[in-house]
Amino acid sequence: MDSDLILAIVVATALAFDFTNGFHDTANVVATSISTRAASPRTAVAFAALLNFAGAFISLEVAATVAKDVVNPEDITTTVVFAGLVGAIAWNLITWYYGLPSSSSHALIGGVVGATLAAAGTSAVLGEGITGKVLIPALIAPTLAFLVAWLGINITYRIVGRLSPGPVNRGFRSGQVISGGMLALAHGTNDAQKTMGVIALALVASGHLSADADPPFWVIVSAATAIALGTYTGGWRIIRTMGSRIIKMDAAQGFGAQGAGAAVILSSSHFGFPLSTTQVIAGGVMGAGAGKRLSAVRWGVAGNIVFAWVLTLPAAAAIGAATYGFTRIFGTGAAGPLIVLLIGAALAAIAFVRRARGEPVPAG
Amino acid sequence: MIATVVETKELLDTVLYASVSALGLTLVYSAAIWGAARFAEFSRDDRPVAAGFAAAVGLLGLAASIAAVVIGIVVMTSK
Repeated sequence: MDSDLILAIVVATALAFDFTNGFHDTANVVATSISTRAASPRTAVAFAALLNFAGAFISLEVAATVAKDVVNPEDITTTVVFAGLVGAIAWNLITWYYGLPSSSSHALIGGVVGATLAAAGTSAVLGEGITGKVLIPALIAPTLAFLVAWLGINITYRIVGRLSPGPVNRGFRSGQVISGGMLALAHGTNDAQKTMGVIALALVASGHLSADADPPFWVIVSAATAIALGTYTGGWRIIRTMGSRIIKMDAAQGFGAQGAGAAVILSSSHFGFPLSTTQVIAGGVMGAGAGKRLSAVRWGVAGNIVFAWVLTLPAAAAIGAATYGFTRIFGTGAAGPLIVLLIGAALAAIAFVRRARGEPVPAG
Repeated sequence: MIATVVETKELLDTVLYASVSALGLTLVYSAAIWGAARFAEFSRDDRPVAAGFAAAVGLLGLAASIAAVVIGIVVMTSK
């Protein structure tokens, strides 16, 4: 009875994480289209939500990586998965509150790894999987997006640079409907699968799913729905940072940044690499900016974003580990996760109310 | 050491697929815009042969762009 209750809490928490992932990452997907006026904010967000939903159905490779290659499923309990999710959600909300883009994906993996370390020690953490499937792709993907966008914008300017800007801008704004759509599709497929992987991990831990099985269809549909709703709800504060504070873009740069981001994320998803869409699109945006002129990129803002990324894995891991330790104070039953859930919901509600009232964010 | 941990082939394939698809789409879509813009200019200047060539480049670029997106989605869903 207790294990089923914990599983239900984990599934609800995972879907809440998926919602916050969509909410938090809306900016990555739509900021470029909004910044270049290829689409109005409302249209861009609705379009992105729809394609996030569709994207969740096109692959399961990333879900398999999260469920099998990060931690050993045999050493995991549903409480560990719950604590990891709390670590990820807490870090997502903290960075959202302060208007910092960070990686929801790395928050999730950091949270799960931290909780696993606290519960079962280092032997349960699959270091090779984390290095090969998460850390190295995490370094390569944004760099690749930067280089591809940089090269792409140089090719574009060579071809259309001498034409009158009116038709060129109109053309690339139309193209951004496609490139923005592909980016939303890519976001849906990579990010929704992480939630599917975590729910699959909990189902394996509770004995409801065999370790080598794919996530059930209800998991896929619910993850797709949660991320789409989160995306639609949007993250307007972060849109401001991504869309204009990194770089002022023209439509060709927007097209190049989105195209590079979508290509990198979709290719990585095909091979099962769980990436940060935030990092990849920021790499694309900076590459497209640097392709025009290096000074167009506001490197100071980019540096703040990198700082938030570097903090993400250890911070989410620390919160995940602390959450697991706290739940164990109340034993191995459902009491610990329930208490954490209530405290977390209350803190999140306070943060949302403060944001909605527009109260100033403390410095730092 | 790192080569044993990293799935080198899959990583290189990712780099190759991402680069070719993004740069290819940029190239053909830029060609489509070049064709459309030049077609308008040449038509205005009453140069029908050049306008026809620009229109052909534009249409080919547009068709290749659509094909690139469709192929990308088919590859993604085929595994």
